[in-house]
Amino acid sequence: MSTRARVVQMEEPAATGGNALLVLVGLSVVFLLVVALLGVAKSGGSLISESNFLYVALIFYAGAGALYMGFGVTGTPRYVRYASVATSIGLVANTLAVAHRWYLSGRPPFASIYEMLLSFVWAVAALTLFAEKKFGVRIIGSITMPLAVVCVILMQLLPSDVRPLVPALQSTWLHVHVTLAMLSYATCALSCALAMMFLIQDDCKTETFLAWTSAMVSAIYIAIVATRFERWGGLSVTGWDAKNKSDIFLGRGMRLFVTVPDLGWLFMIAAAGAIVPLVLYLVGRAKNNESFYATANKAVFISILLHLVVLGAFVLRVRDASYPSPDQEGLFPTSLAASPFLLGGMVTGIFASLLYLMLLWRRADLEGLLPSADTLDRVTYKTICIAFPLLTGMIAAGAYWANRTWGSYWSWDPKETWAAITWLVYAGYLHMRITRGWRGRRAAYFAILGFGVVIFTFLGVTYLLPGLHAYA
Amino acid sequence: MAFSLSSIAKRIHKTLANLRTGIVLLILVVIASALGTFVLQRPVTEADKLARAYSPNTLRWLDRLTLTDVFHAWWFLALLGLVSLSILLVSIDRFPNAWRFYARPYRKTDSHFRAALPNKVELPIRNSEDGLNAAERALKKLGWPVERIADKSEPSLYSERHRFSVMAVYIVHASLFLIFAGGIIDGLFGYSGFLMLQKGESGNVIELRTGARKRLPFAIKCYGAGQENYADGSPKRWWSKLAVVQDGKEIQTKEIVVNDPLVHQGLRFYQASYGPTGKLDGLKLLATPDGGTAREITLQADQPFDLDPNTSVTLAEYIPDFFIRDNQVFKRSDDPVNPAFRLQVKNKATGEDAKLWLFPAYGETAQGQKTNYSFAYRDMQMGYFTGLEVSHEPGQWLVWAGCLLMGAGLFVAFYMVHMRLWIVAVPDAKGKLVLWIGGQANKNRDRFEQKFNDVVATIQFELKGTSVAARPARKEEAELTLAGVK
Repeated sequence: MSTRARVVQMEEPAATGGNALLVLVGLSVVFLLVVALLGVAKSGGSLISESNFLYVALIFYAGAGALYMGFGVTGTPRYVRYASVATSIGLVANTLAVAHRWYLSGRPPFASIYEMLLSFVWAVAALTLFAEKKFGVRIIGSITMPLAVVCVILMQLLPSDVRPLVPALQSTWLHVHVTLAMLSYATCALSCALAMMFLIQDDCKTETFLAWTSAMVSAIYIAIVATRFERWGGLSVTGWDAKNKSDIFLGRGMRLFVTVPDLGWLFMIAAAGAIVPLVLYLVGRAKNNESFYATANKAVFISILLHLVVLGAFVLRVRDASYPSPDQEGLFPTSLAASPFLLGGMVTGIFASLLYLMLLWRRADLEGLLPSADTLDRVTYKTICIAFPLLTGMIAAGAYWANRTWGSYWSWDPKETWAAITWLVYAGYLHMRITRGWRGRRAAYFAILGFGVVIFTFLGVTYLLPGLHAYA
Repeated sequence: MAFSLSSIAKRIHKTLANLRTGIVLLILVVIASALGTFVLQRPVTEADKLARAYSPNTLRWLDRLTLTDVFHAWWFLALLGLVSLSILLVSIDRFPNAWRFYARPYRKTDSHFRAALPNKVELPIRNSEDGLNAAERALKKLGWPVERIADKSEPSLYSERHRFSVMAVYIVHASLFLIFAGGIIDGLFGYSGFLMLQKGESGNVIELRTGARKRLPFAIKCYGAGQENYADGSPKRWWSKLAVVQDGKEIQTKEIVVNDPLVHQGLRFYQASYGPTGKLDGLKLLATPDGGTAREITLQADQPFDLDPNTSVTLAEYIPDFFIRDNQVFKRSDDPVNPAFRLQVKNKATGEDAKLWLFPAYGETAQGQKTNYSFAYRDMQMGYFTGLEVSHEPGQWLVWAGCLLMGAGLFVAFYMVHMRLWIVAVPDAKGKLVLWIGGQANKNRDRFEQKFNDVVATIQFELKGTSVAARPARKEEAELTLAGVK
């Protein structure tokens, strides 16, 4: 396998120059680095710090992501080579960030959601490079790198101070459990990316995806507007009691909602932006006219931009601000923590639309640049064959540790339950594949779904569902 | 048509022993578990939090549908039982075939099989004996075990590796049953509870999760407990010095910390919590007799302290956080932030009782009208308890055994490949004698192709001099190509 992958070299296309993106990304990276350097020099802080390393990693991961995606759009093989280099540099910076934190705290960075994301991003980047070398699948970075970027940005919102370990975490099993968890999650991310590549190579109809994606995104925004739109264009969000870290309650089962002015209109526009592609698809289907689909695809692109703007506005206005409530006098604080479902819905919508746009990369030239659909299918299966035992080990180690700490190896805590659900989903995948011969498309859907569940277990459960895994 | 009992049983068996049924049941388990994480669960949620989160009507319905305790609901357990049964039946149904395959390997090929096999190569040879000998030498060199299949018309070799890997899936499923068995044993015979001890106290009655009490055959004595903090004030370590006392003798002592329990007779005692009891351990006062010198005394609740041969003082009441209304003292909360103490001073000579309040927040001294002592507050020590989680899980060893077995089973199932090689000396399509080499692997086929090619190359090397280059019977599939745009 490896030898074969090494033999196959990328051939430089003579016709396509394709330097524009390279120059652009290169300049951006240099610019951001210089700005950051100046900032550090001005503040007089030390250059060697975890946050600086992480920032460098972020810049290079973002550059790599842009180049990988550029490859997907233009099919310029040179992009991939530079993207790999950028990923490697990002990985080195990421490793330094991990090392610095490890050195400062005297323990591996496994003890909070911030630290786990740090390790997770590291594992994702490392596995991306590994998969490129080992399987010759050179553009999975176009999925894993944006994921890494999102994770690093998310980390900026989380408390990052090095805290001493609470008694429950002082165990060797912490290291075993979290190492296995991060490795298995990163492997699942890889399998999801490979499955996406498979769908690009596979000749299924993109219209179906257009319909499903735009229907889902429309549903998300319609639901938000229907339940949260207030008079005069406001958006109601739950009030947040920062001291008790809980929603503000008016009475039994009644949360206090505050109204963020004008945000409602934005969500209205976002909903419209989500519905347009769906309508175009439906019209195109009714009239049996393919040209509507092309317009719908453009509309998806525009709606992603819209949704990004709305997400940005939401984050800026809801984070640490106070607004009046229609139910009670006075101003009440809001927080992103109080609206996990809104945030989760928006981020999911953007990701789903992005994944759909990726499918449109399917072109004859890209088909030659990617491994065959058959190989991608097999490699997806192989990564899951690695991820599944790791998941099993993670759950077993967690159970053993829980038994030493809480006195019971299984307590149906949300995190445990979702880990079990993840395990069951992948077990289902393996059974369908091995005994029912599920190959190709259905297996790819399953792999993508599986990673969706993994992300929910990793991040969703932490923010949406309370439980024993409070520190993670 | 009458349904006999056996036909119904057969039908149920047929339904359950179906992979599709199993998958449907698994999906149901997934949905139910997910529900159980979205709805707050009674066993792990405080009652008032539950009451705040749902309106009374919603809560009533959730309770009625047992959605507030999904994981202990009968229907959830029944679902788990059905899934296990389904896995068991599917495994039993499939086992005989797999066993046949395992016990009686397909050693001797026929022409149909040879035609259908994807991985095959034909090497021209002069005579079958030399060819097979060369192949045997090559295989031995590469570490393959070789079996000669005696057959007059078609002498052949058979070689295989890791045949047991075809049984790995049954090992994995068996390990699942070990884990289930452990869980069931713990569900039936295990119990867990709570034991709260203060320093110097010993106890042998634990409060079970169900609210019932259980008497242990031995007692646990607490020699002390404490908390150590980091510099920033967050807890670093909770510890309790415990001893097991049976029949008046100390059998075992251990200082337990979080993550390191005490184990005795299958019972485990975990450091679960530590905190103030809300009760006073000691009250330090400065007692001054009229015209005399002050001295420091320490009062324990309800224990009279003799100030002089005629006078004793008792701490009659302690209110951790008080307020006064209508000249009466009430309790506001259990936090010891604004304490009040009621002292009872008894004069043994006159038999007179004097009750006086001491409010450290209002001023430190309290002086009764009928006593000749005044008291000043100095300090108070709160009592601390250590909370021990007690659990008895006789099935846990089955669970761990199951986990280990599953690890081994998954390793074999995913990473051990059952590889088979058949080598026959037969005439090819044109009637020329060739050494037909075929191979098959049950997984990781591309890796096997390389191994197969190695085997062929080595056999060729051994045949050297007697044959010409190999003719691949199947075109090499060029995969993993990442050739540039042409």
